[in-house]
Amino acid sequence: MSHAWRPVFVVLAAIVFFLVARVILVPSDFSAKNGDYKYQWHRLSSEQYWKDFPVKHKGMEFCGMCHVPILEKLKGGGHQNVQCENCHAMFNPEKKSHPIDLKEISGYLLNIGTDRSRELCKRCHAELPYRPSTYTDPKKGTVKFKMIDPDKHNPSMECAMCHDVHSAGFKTAAK
Amino acid sequence: MNLSRRELLKMGLVAVCGTVIPLSALEILTPEAAASLIHPFSKKKRWAFVVDTTKCVGCGMCAKACKLENEVPFDTEVQRTWIERYVQLKDGKVIIDSPQGARYGYTKNDPQGKEIKDSEVAKGLFVPKLCNQCEKPSCVQVCPVGATYKTEDGVVLVDRGWCIGCGYCITNCPYFARFFHPITNTADKCTFCYHRITKGLNTACVDSCAFGARKCGLINDPESEVFKILSTERVSVLKPEYGNEPHVFYIGLDHIVR
Ligand code: HEC
Ligand code: HEC
Ligand code: HEC
Repeated sequence: MSHAWRPVFVVLAAIVFFLVARVILVPSDFSAKNGDYKYQWHRLSSEQYWKDFPVKHKGMEFCGMCHVPILEKLKGGGHQNVQCENCHAMFNPEKKSHPIDLKEISGYLLNIGTDRSRELCKRCHAELPYRPSTYTDPKKGTVKFKMIDPDKHNPSMECAMCHDVHSAGFKTAAK
Repeated sequence: MNLSRRELLKMGLVAVCGTVIPLSALEILTPEAAASLIHPFSKKKRWAFVVDTTKCVGCGMCAKACKLENEVPFDTEVQRTWIERYVQLKDGKVIIDSPQGARYGYTKNDPQGKEIKDSEVAKGLFVPKLCNQCEKPSCVQVCPVGATYKTEDGVVLVDRGWCIGCGYCITNCPYFARFFHPITNTADKCTFCYHRITKGLNTACVDSCAFGARKCGLINDPESEVFKILSTERVSVLKPEYGNEPHVFYIGLDHIVR
């Protein structure tokens, strides 16, 4: 056979090597759903990974299982749509202070504590010129959204000193 | 047959036009059909999102909840959802900012860190942003290894075990919705809380919003709130000129928003 065939064998060997390597290296569940190679070419197991990601926020119904009176109070006031976790989930694990280990009892993963800072309330209630002035109440419809000027409204005192945060009203003593 | 030069050219032209123009091009399009060409509601199951900027107060509880829910380290400057503040002053100047992605909320009138008087503000609004879960995601097209993809129900996900962290997708997203996850060392993005919506829960950001500014649902399910809003209200999308067909719809946007 002529030596001119040698490059052809090299190319063929390379192709065979590529195909074998591909079979070994590409996971078997790689496929394109609906024949869509452009957008849906992926390892099918990855979808399951995202479906199995742990759920962390469980909402006020979860906390309300044990904190029944607080949930009742919450539901009757202006904060009925504010989730417990908005204020009680701590981004700083050291601030965790829930007396019962919720992770052990019900696999709850967030760190629950109490944030008494004015900064917390200011996130919603500080008066800004472009902050919407109305609020859509689930029962009353559109109402005025009450904002305060934090520099004038009893500065340097904890909001919770006077306000009952759960009922979004006042502490009975301060009334 | 006797053919003049003029006749030959005329007939030739007719023949050429007749073969080039398909019959369908001569059909008269009804307005409804034309509209459906521009924006068809697909028949298949498809997740979509509605953001009502007129209700957003910029408290940033969504950004906080998202970070905790999706294990994005809290004190890093990367976020799956964030809130931008657009303030137009009376002299016409527009200031845009998003301090720490608003995960600590907006508590002061201090765009770009500079405090301004309320009387200087002409208008302003908060715009929550998140992945637009595009129908034609440009981030997916550029992945060299097939580590990012669109699910059948329209959510774009990243395969953390397969991503090589090259960052093409991050630079190719017109909405800047992708980032490099500092712990997994892969590209990361909003998943519409795929682990929650597939279990019938709301996304963490929707649940944490006390103002009802966010809605997530199936675009083609007549019972879903997203469907009701899309079919009765005026909505818009961000950067339609990119042709990605984004599926996060906004109420109350302004021309200063980008
Ligand atoms: C398994 C029952 C249970 C669940 C679920 C639960 N708690 Fe508690 N929690 C308790 C008990 C018991 C105490 C201690 C007694 C008390 O103060 O009522 C407590 C105390 C607290 C305290 C401290 C009260 C104080 O006076 O310092 C906070 C804050 C709190 N819980 C928040 C929450 C939040 C937020 C959730 C929902 C994520 C939650 N809890 C879910 C049982 C529970
Ligand atoms: C997630 C946003 C949010 C946060 C955080 C928040 N609130 Fe509210 N608050 C609301 C909403 C919404 C209402 C109901 C609308 C209204 O009545 O203005 C409300 C109502 C109130 C009211 C009732 C006003 C009235 O006269 O009816 C008080 C008082 C109040 N909040 C105090 C507080 C305090 C104190 C804190 C901090 C511990 C706080 N809020 C944190 C959203 C929030
Ligand atoms: C010294 C007690 C005290 C403290 C501290 C306090 N408040 Fe008040 N707050 C009041 C009283 C009294 C009223 C009702 C009279 C008024 O409107 O000023 C009120 C009213 C409000 C209202 C309703 C305003 C309206 O327009 O009806 C809101 C919202 C509010 N407070 C939020 C806060 C927040 C947020 C903080 C913390 C940053 C705070 N308060 C701290 C006593 C207090």
